[in-house]
Amino acid sequence: MKWILIILLIGVIMIIAYSLSEQYKEKCNFYSNLKNFLNQFKLNVSFKREKVSEFLKQVNSKKQFKIFIEEYQNYLSKGELNLTRIKALDSEDLPVLEEIVKSIGKLDSKNEITQLDTFLVTVTDRLNKAEADKNKLCPMIIKLSLLFAVGIAILLI
Amino acid sequence: MLKEYLSRDVYNLIVKTFSFNDITEIRLRVGERLIVCVKNKKYYLKNDDGEFVIVNKNMLNNFITRASENSIYAYNDNIINGYITLPKGIRVGLTGTVVVENGKVVTIKDFQSANIRIPHIVRNCSLKVYDYIVGEQIKNTLIISPPGAGKTTFLRDLVFQMSEHNCTKNVLIADERNEIANSVNGEPTVILGGFCDIYTNCSKSFAFKNGIRSMCPDVIVTDEIDLDRDLSDLIEATNCGVSIIATIHARDLKDLKRKKGFDKVIDEKIFTRFVLLSNEFGPGTLVGVYDENFNCLMLGE
Repeated sequence: MKWILIILLIGVIMIIAYSLSEQYKEKCNFYSNLKNFLNQFKLNVSFKREKVSEFLKQVNSKKQFKIFIEEYQNYLSKGELNLTRIKALDSEDLPVLEEIVKSIGKLDSKNEITQLDTFLVTVTDRLNKAEADKNKLCPMIIKLSLLFAVGIAILLI
Repeated sequence: MLKEYLSRDVYNLIVKTFSFNDITEIRLRVGERLIVCVKNKKYYLKNDDGEFVIVNKNMLNNFITRASENSIYAYNDNIINGYITLPKGIRVGLTGTVVVENGKVVTIKDFQSANIRIPHIVRNCSLKVYDYIVGEQIKNTLIISPPGAGKTTFLRDLVFQMSEHNCTKNVLIADERNEIANSVNGEPTVILGGFCDIYTNCSKSFAFKNGIRSMCPDVIVTDEIDLDRDLSDLIEATNCGVSIIATIHARDLKDLKRKKGFDKVIDEKIFTRFVLLSNEFGPGTLVGVYDENFNCLMLGE
C-alpha cells in the first residue's frame, strides 16, 4: 500500500511538472505560429492583397493560436478584443499582440510591409526569449520536480 | 446598407431622420457638420438634442477603416484614384493628403473628407432612348451629364434593357472604377443581364486592347472616358467593328465641344448618338438625344 502511494505521489508531481513546462512550450509554439502568420501576411500584402478577414479564414491554426485568430476575427466584425483568453501569454505579451491586431491593415502596401517587418523583429525577439525560457526552465522544472518527488518518497520510506 | 460602415449612433440618426431609399449622398468633412443629400437637397444631420452632428477625425478614420474592411493596402489602387467602392454600388470619394513619390501618387493619407454616394437602380430610365441606340447594330453612343446626374445609373439600365429586349450582342464592360457592375470577388452585384463580360478595376486601354482580341465583344461599355487619353483606343475599337457606349462629364453640348480631343471625335464621327442628361428635375433628367451632326432626334423633359 505504501509503495503504491509513493508511486502515485511521484506520478502526480511529475504530471504537474510537465503541465508547468508545457506552458513554456505553448508560448514558443504561439510565437512561432505568429511569426509564420506575419510572414504569410507580408506575402499576401505584396502579391494577392486579400483583405485581412479573407486571409484569416485561410489560416490553419491550432490550440492557443486558434484562439488568437478567433479573437482577431471577433475584433474585425464586432470591434471587441479579448486576448486574455490566450493562456500561454502573460501581461507583457498582450500589449504587443494588441498593437499588432489594431495596426494591421491601416496602411498602403509599401508601408504595411515596413510595419510588418517591424512586428516581425519584435515577434522574433519574443520567440527567442520564449525559446530560451523553454530550454532553460523546462528541464529545470522536470529535474526539480523529480528531486522533490524522490525526496518525499525517501521521507515516506 | 451602410450599417457596417458608419458608427451605430450616426447610422441610427440617419435612418431615423431620413428615408434611406431617398438618400443620394452622405458627406463627412472633418470638423464640419455631417450633410445628408436627399433628392438633391442638402440637410445637416442633428442628434436627439437637436444639435448638429460634427464629423471628427476619428469618425472619418473609423468609417474609412471599416469601408476598407481593415485592409487599406487591398484598396490602395482605388484610394490613389480617390475612391473606394463598397458592395451594392456604393461609391466613397476620398480626399486628404496625397503622397507622391517620384512623381507618382502612392497613396492618400490624413483623410479630410469622404463623400458616400448611394446608387439607386432606376429601372427603365433608359427606355425612352433605347430605340435610338439599339437596333440591328448598336450605335456608338456618348452619354453626357454633369457629375451626379445619373450617367452610370442610365448606363447600367441601358445594358440591362439590351438583355431584357433579347438583344443577344456580347457586351464587354470596361469597369475601370468598379462602378458599373460593382463586382465583389469577381461577381457583379448589379443585375446587368446575361451577355456581359466584365473587366473590373482595369484601365480602359487594357480592356479595349485585350478585350477585343480575347472576348470578341459586339459592344464595349465604359464609364467616364477621357477624350485626351482614351481617344486612340476608341478609334481603334470602332475600326475593329465594335460599338461603343460610353459616358463623359459635361454640363451641355457646348461644354462637350470645348473638351480637348473632341474635334477629332467630330471629324472621325466616332459617336453617332449623344444622350444629354442633366440634374434639372433631379438626377437622370433627359435633355435630348442627338445624332453625329448634333441634330436633335428627341427632346427630353
